[in-house]
Amino acid sequence: MYVIMAYDVNVERVVKVLHTGRRYLTWVQNSVLEGELTPALFERLKADIAKIIDPNQDAVRFYVIKRTACFEKEFLGHSKNEPGQIL
Amino acid sequence: MKPIYIFSSGRLTRRQHTLFLETEEGKRPIPIQQVSEIYAFGELELNKRLLEFLTQHRVPMHFFNRYGYYVGTYYPREFLSSGHLTLKQAEHYLNPQLRLDLARRFVRGALWNLVRVLAYYARRDAELEAPIRTIEDLQEAVMETNSIPELMALEGNAREVYYHAWEHILPDSFTLTTRTRRPPTTPANALVSFLNSLLYTATLAQIYQTHLDPRIGYLHETNYRRHTLNLDVAEVFKPTYVDRLIFRLVNRKQLSQKHFLKEGGGVFLNDAGRKTVLKEWEDFLQSTYKHPKLGRHVSWRTTLRLELYKLEKHLLGDRPYEPFKHRG
Repeated sequence: MYVIMAYDVNVERVVKVLHTGRRYLTWVQNSVLEGELTPALFERLKADIAKIIDPNQDAVRFYVIKRTACFEKEFLGHSKNEPGQIL
Repeated sequence: MKPIYIFSSGRLTRRQHTLFLETEEGKRPIPIQQVSEIYAFGELELNKRLLEFLTQHRVPMHFFNRYGYYVGTYYPREFLSSGHLTLKQAEHYLNPQLRLDLARRFVRGALWNLVRVLAYYARRDAELEAPIRTIEDLQEAVMETNSIPELMALEGNAREVYYHAWEHILPDSFTLTTRTRRPPTTPANALVSFLNSLLYTATLAQIYQTHLDPRIGYLHETNYRRHTLNLDVAEVFKPTYVDRLIFRLVNRKQLSQKHFLKEGGGVFLNDAGRKTVLKEWEDFLQSTYKHPKLGRHVSWRTTLRLELYKLEKHLLGDRPYEPFKHRG
C-alpha cells in the first residue's frame, strides 16, 4: 500500500517525528513523507510515531492508498526528494 | 522492501537510524525499512558503522565496478542458519550420486526453458525448428551423463546452439554468434554478461532469506572463494528472465549502439544503458502473475524464492526438486 504521512507537531518533537518517519518513508517536503509500505511496516511506523507524540498537542495523519491504479501525483514548484529505487 | 540501485558517487552513511546518500547535489535520506538489498554502481565511500547497520537490518550490498562487472557482496552474518539443512546440503554435495542427480535437474530445467523461449519465436520464424530439435535431443541426453563435467559440456553445447539461433530473433547489430566474456566483445555479449550478474545477485539476495548456504553449489564446483548455489539456480531462470528481457529491450529499440562504449578491448553498457536495463529488470521482477499451485499472485522475484524452498524440500527429502518451467 502507498502511504502519505503528514504531521503537525510541537517544535520540541518535530525532529523526532521526522527522523522516525524517514526510516520508513521518503521525505518529500517539510512535514510530508510518502512511500510504498507493507501492512506490517505501516503498523510498526504507526507504533513508533505513537510513542513520540503527545496526543493532546500533536496530529499526524496517514493517507493510505490501497490500490495505486487511480492515484496520480501532480507537482508545482521544485521537488526536494522523490521516492525511487535508482539513485 | 525493495532493492535500491546507486549510480551516483558520494558517501553512503548511517545517520539518525536511517541511510543517507551524500552527493554533490546534497544529502538524500533513504528509508532503511524499505530497503531489501543495495546495488552499488557508483564510487561510494562507506564505513564500518554502515556495514554494522546493514547487518542489523539484514541488507546485503552488492558491488559492481565501472564496467558493470560484479565485484562482490557484503553478505551480513547469516541469521537463518540451520545446522540440519547445512549438513544435508553438504551431504548432497559429497555424495556423487546425490550431487549428479541435483545437477541434472538444474540442467534439465535450464534446457527446458531454453526450448520454451525459442518456441515462442518459432511461431514466427520456422528457421528456429532445427535448433529447438537439437536442444531437445540434448535434453534427452541429460539422463545419460555420468559426471558433472560431462553435464557442463552438454549444457555448453545447448547454449551454443541457442545463441546461434538469436540471429532469427534479433536485428543483425545485436546477434550473438560467439559468447565472449572477460571482456564481452559485442553489445549482445555485454548485455548477457550484465543481466546474468544481476540475476546471480538477485538470486543470492533471495538465498539470504532462506536457510540455504550459498557457498555450496552442485552443478558449479564449490570452491574456496565464491558463492555457487546462486549460479546453479540462476541457470534455470536465465532464458526466462535474462534472454527474454534482452529480446524485448532490443526489439522495442529501447537500446541502441549509443548505449554501449568500447574500452580496453571490450564492449560495455554505459550509464544510460545500464539504467534503462535496470529499470526494465526491476519492473519485470516486481510484476506478478497468478501462481497455478498457490492460487495467488506472486512476483517474479518471489518465484526465485519459491524455487529455493523447493530445493530445501529436496535436500530434506520431502519432495524431489522439479525446476521452474517457463510457460507460453
